[in-house]
Amino acid sequence: MTPLLSLSDIAVAFGGVQAVRGVSFDVRPGEVHALVGENGAGKSTLIRVMTGAIRADTGTVSIGGQPVERPDPTRMRSLGVAPIYQQPALLPDLSVVENLAFGLEHGRAFRRIDWTARRARATELLTRVGIALDLDRPAGTLRMAEQQMVEIARALGTQAKVLLLDEPTAALTDVEAARLFTLVRALRADGVGCVYISHRLEEVMALADRVSVLRDGRLMATLPIAEVTRDGMVRLMVGRDVDMGLGLVKPTRDASDASRSVLALHDVSSAAARIAGVSLRVGAGEIVGLAGLVGAGRTELARVLFGLTPADGGTIAIDGRTCIIRTPTDAVRLGIGYVPEDRRQHGVIGAMSVAANTALASLDRLARFGLLDRAAERREAQRFVGEFAIRTPSIEAAVGTLSGGNQQKVALARWLATTPRLLILDEPTQGVDIGAKAEIHRLIRTLAADGLAILLISSELTELLGLAHRIGVMRGGRLVGLLDHADATEERLMSLALGHTPMAMAAARPGGQA
Amino acid sequence: MNRPLWVALAWAALLALVAVVAPAFFDPVNLRDLIVRASPLLIVACGMTIVILARQIDISVGSQFAICGVVAGLLAREGLPMPLVAAGTMLAGAALGAINGVLVARLGLPAIVVTLATLVAWREGLRFATEGVWVQDLPATFQWFGLGQDIGRWLIGIGAAAVWASIAFVLGWTPAGRAVYATGSDAEVARLLGVRPPLVIAGSFIVMGALTGLAALLSAVQFIDVQANAGIGLELSVIAAVVVGGTSVSGGRGSLTGTLAGVALLATVGPALTFLGAPAAWERALQGAIILIAVSAEGFSRVRRVKEQHA
Amino acid sequence: MTRARLATPELVLLVLLVGELVWFSLAATNFLTLDNGLEIVRASAEVGLLALALTPVILTGGIDLSCGALLGLSAVVFGAIWRDAGQPIAVAAAAALGVGLLGGAVNAWMVAGFGRPALIVTLGTASLFRGLAEGLTGGAVNYSGFPASFLHLGQGRVLGLPTQAWVLIAAAALIAVLVHAATIGRALRAIGYAPEGARFAGIPVGRRLALVYLLSGGAAGVAGLVYAARLGQARADAGTGFELSAITAVVLGGTSIFGGRGSVWGTMLGLVALGVLANGLRLADQPAELAGVLTGILLVVAIGVGARRGRA
Repeated sequence: MTPLLSLSDIAVAFGGVQAVRGVSFDVRPGEVHALVGENGAGKSTLIRVMTGAIRADTGTVSIGGQPVERPDPTRMRSLGVAPIYQQPALLPDLSVVENLAFGLEHGRAFRRIDWTARRARATELLTRVGIALDLDRPAGTLRMAEQQMVEIARALGTQAKVLLLDEPTAALTDVEAARLFTLVRALRADGVGCVYISHRLEEVMALADRVSVLRDGRLMATLPIAEVTRDGMVRLMVGRDVDMGLGLVKPTRDASDASRSVLALHDVSSAAARIAGVSLRVGAGEIVGLAGLVGAGRTELARVLFGLTPADGGTIAIDGRTCIIRTPTDAVRLGIGYVPEDRRQHGVIGAMSVAANTALASLDRLARFGLLDRAAERREAQRFVGEFAIRTPSIEAAVGTLSGGNQQKVALARWLATTPRLLILDEPTQGVDIGAKAEIHRLIRTLAADGLAILLISSELTELLGLAHRIGVMRGGRLVGLLDHADATEERLMSLALGHTPMAMAAARPGGQA
Repeated sequence: MNRPLWVALAWAALLALVAVVAPAFFDPVNLRDLIVRASPLLIVACGMTIVILARQIDISVGSQFAICGVVAGLLAREGLPMPLVAAGTMLAGAALGAINGVLVARLGLPAIVVTLATLVAWREGLRFATEGVWVQDLPATFQWFGLGQDIGRWLIGIGAAAVWASIAFVLGWTPAGRAVYATGSDAEVARLLGVRPPLVIAGSFIVMGALTGLAALLSAVQFIDVQANAGIGLELSVIAAVVVGGTSVSGGRGSLTGTLAGVALLATVGPALTFLGAPAAWERALQGAIILIAVSAEGFSRVRRVKEQHA
Repeated sequence: MTRARLATPELVLLVLLVGELVWFSLAATNFLTLDNGLEIVRASAEVGLLALALTPVILTGGIDLSCGALLGLSAVVFGAIWRDAGQPIAVAAAAALGVGLLGGAVNAWMVAGFGRPALIVTLGTASLFRGLAEGLTGGAVNYSGFPASFLHLGQGRVLGLPTQAWVLIAAAALIAVLVHAATIGRALRAIGYAPEGARFAGIPVGRRLALVYLLSGGAAGVAGLVYAARLGQARADAGTGFELSAITAVVLGGTSIFGGRGSVWGTMLGLVALGVLANGLRLADQPAELAGVLTGILLVVAIGVGARRGRA
């Protein structure tokens, strides 16, 4: 059967660097074709070729068997290729109705809009993706999952034939992800083709019909899912067996000794953060993981601890001393460091150099009579570049030019430079390729071994199980469970996070656990 | 929190105050004059609403206003019939707007700086060209369009209302108008959705210019000759009215209803001050205070996905 | 790539300066003299003070459109306290400085405290400050007749340089240390590049922003005094249009209007370029309005070049 979309022998080079070479890829009607590979393997370049954002140096892009002459985003969209990115492409101030109308209508610029017809069509499209929303809400006030649904609804409205889903579950709760999978399966039954890019190999195993693995810009293999295992994919992606740096963790200290707690939370509540009654201790050298669905309160708790959101109940104690944390400045002074989830916006400042970023939380310490000690700044930056194996041309290079994994290391270095007592890591390996991921995991273990108290927030249960001495589970803003490593399993964590037996998950994963 | 409603209430409160302290304010003649004086302001405010909705700003309108007024006078003095004078004046305004539009939309320069530059350059240029001399010896068809005071006043008031209604329709019920909202909300996304932000932005400056030209004409025809330096400080009154009326300077949010309420409030403040016995010299200070109050009251928007980092 | 690198704002500035010097030395009478050079400094001091304080403001990605109006208000308050309230010059001067700081505090409160956009806030305060000046003077009063000891600040010389030149030098040194050497300067740049990112790094964003707007207000207060001393009079319209010149000087000097990138040295150069322009035009018998027109054009060119470089 004729593929909906096919790339044939595509090669793209950027300024002398070959990003993609000799890649052929196609999407058949009614299939989910997963695309996996490390960051830098060429996935995003390939996607941009598919959307028409860039033109390949050689090779052809075809729709329904017909080569496309001069692909550009508008043309590819009109030919039915709809990208769904992690950041939903919605107009935040405009209503849901309007977002579903833009790009769907054609006509003169000054004709009269039929709002009734628009509302009817919006409702119809939303029903198709299985969601009900207040049509007049500004799109920016919707949850990420809802925004994503609106985007897909709009894509369907434009008669999209191929959906390009880029890490679609990154910001979704497991329930929302399950709903997305159901939708994808429904679309597949309708004959729509999906390109599914994800670092979450379990999802690929559960959802995809075929998977293509990229490495260093080359297509390593395209295989039916039945012939692949998770380890097999990893091996193709990385070219070697990778020790994920995970594995059984032996606690190095008796972390249950309350008197040595670095962080002691007692009944902490915050209306603004929508968390209540959280009690938790983290000892020196201990890694406490925090599991839970997106929106369950983990990042919100982190924000309260870091002074970004005010607490209005309970006590927070650092090293036994009760303290009030009103701003991040307070938190830093108390010895708390926070590596946030959104690396590009909050974790590092892309336009500033590696050295400047590393020093940014230590400005007071590096000051002599208010003046910045640049020599010290450079020394420290060099030290971290060496210790963390940060790959950068120099410490003066802008952080924005580094890869995700190296940016994350700079973010870590910034906080380590402050010699914190407590380090809060929020999704530290999200969007980081396998190699760097393992390095970061090793770093975390080393930091704990050196006596740092670590609160590790992660949506990857394997990561938590591999690193944490204890794992807390949050649900609905409360801490509903705290398991020792010995007692923690994925099923137990998941059922605590969901609050019931994970039937939804089981249904969404017909392939079962890998 | 319906901003236009709040503004209307504030306006009503002001009127109530004046009704108690200085009822002479409500003399029909006074009210009529107020409406006629406010009409050009409303027209310019409609244009400014479009510009601010597109997440831009234009602080050069005062200079545009001055230049267009002089152009109107000169064209009339050359003997052109008034319809052509009107067309020429609006064209002049559109041309000035186009300069702003090209610099902002095509070259991507920040609107505040561009219009700050054109504000001064144009005013200085005008002063140099006219040497401060007013445009005089205008034909009889100029003042009140040659139709006399009464009809002329009606024309101006109705003209302003018509402009307001048409722009309101375009903004609320046509794709072109919605494209302005889209561009102001998130120009990148709008582009992906088929809108052409550079076109929208340039267009909003050009429309702003044309409307300013019209307003300048309607203001100029109220007198026998044309000032050489009209409209000084106009931009502040207009921006105040638009912002007070609820249109957000971050773009994508606002309405002409709000602008109408804002114009009503601000156009009443000055004359009300006079009737309340306060010296007119305080009007600008009051305007500034009103802008600040309106800006503080603007609810903190969580809707916006802010593009925070830049290189 | 090479072409983009050549067309930096600094290079434009250099070309401009050299061009001006050459042109005016030929077209104007008595241009290339020491006395004239000192006159340029004297005439540029007020805008210079505003531009210097504006540099850290723009570095944070903000702007202050009210500095010219605040200059006028300070000058008027100075005159009123001295003449109408009969206070000694020193008290009046302190009042002027106080007004400047107070005005800066209003900006700081709304921008740093409330988080409102600096553009519209300072547009509002510009209106407010100028309006207060007009209200206080009824739009008509002109304070003059200041004692010679005060006028020395604006019209006299100290060690061969105009008195206000020393004020300017002191201000330049202070701001240069703040922006380039102090840790605060690094924090300001971070705020300019990424306000939220700076907050996440523990930088007290509110306090830093408040500081720069306060500084800008203070500078306007000092500039108001220098203005009154130089011209020997204080009116409500003092400083009209100064913010345009100040912003032009800053941007000409290579500071990005979007924040993060810039230098005090560049601002000083930009100031020199503008001062030379105004002076040269006057000596070449050109109409006064031409300076305004050219300043506007220069501003657009400078921003255009800066924007082009940012995209390269």
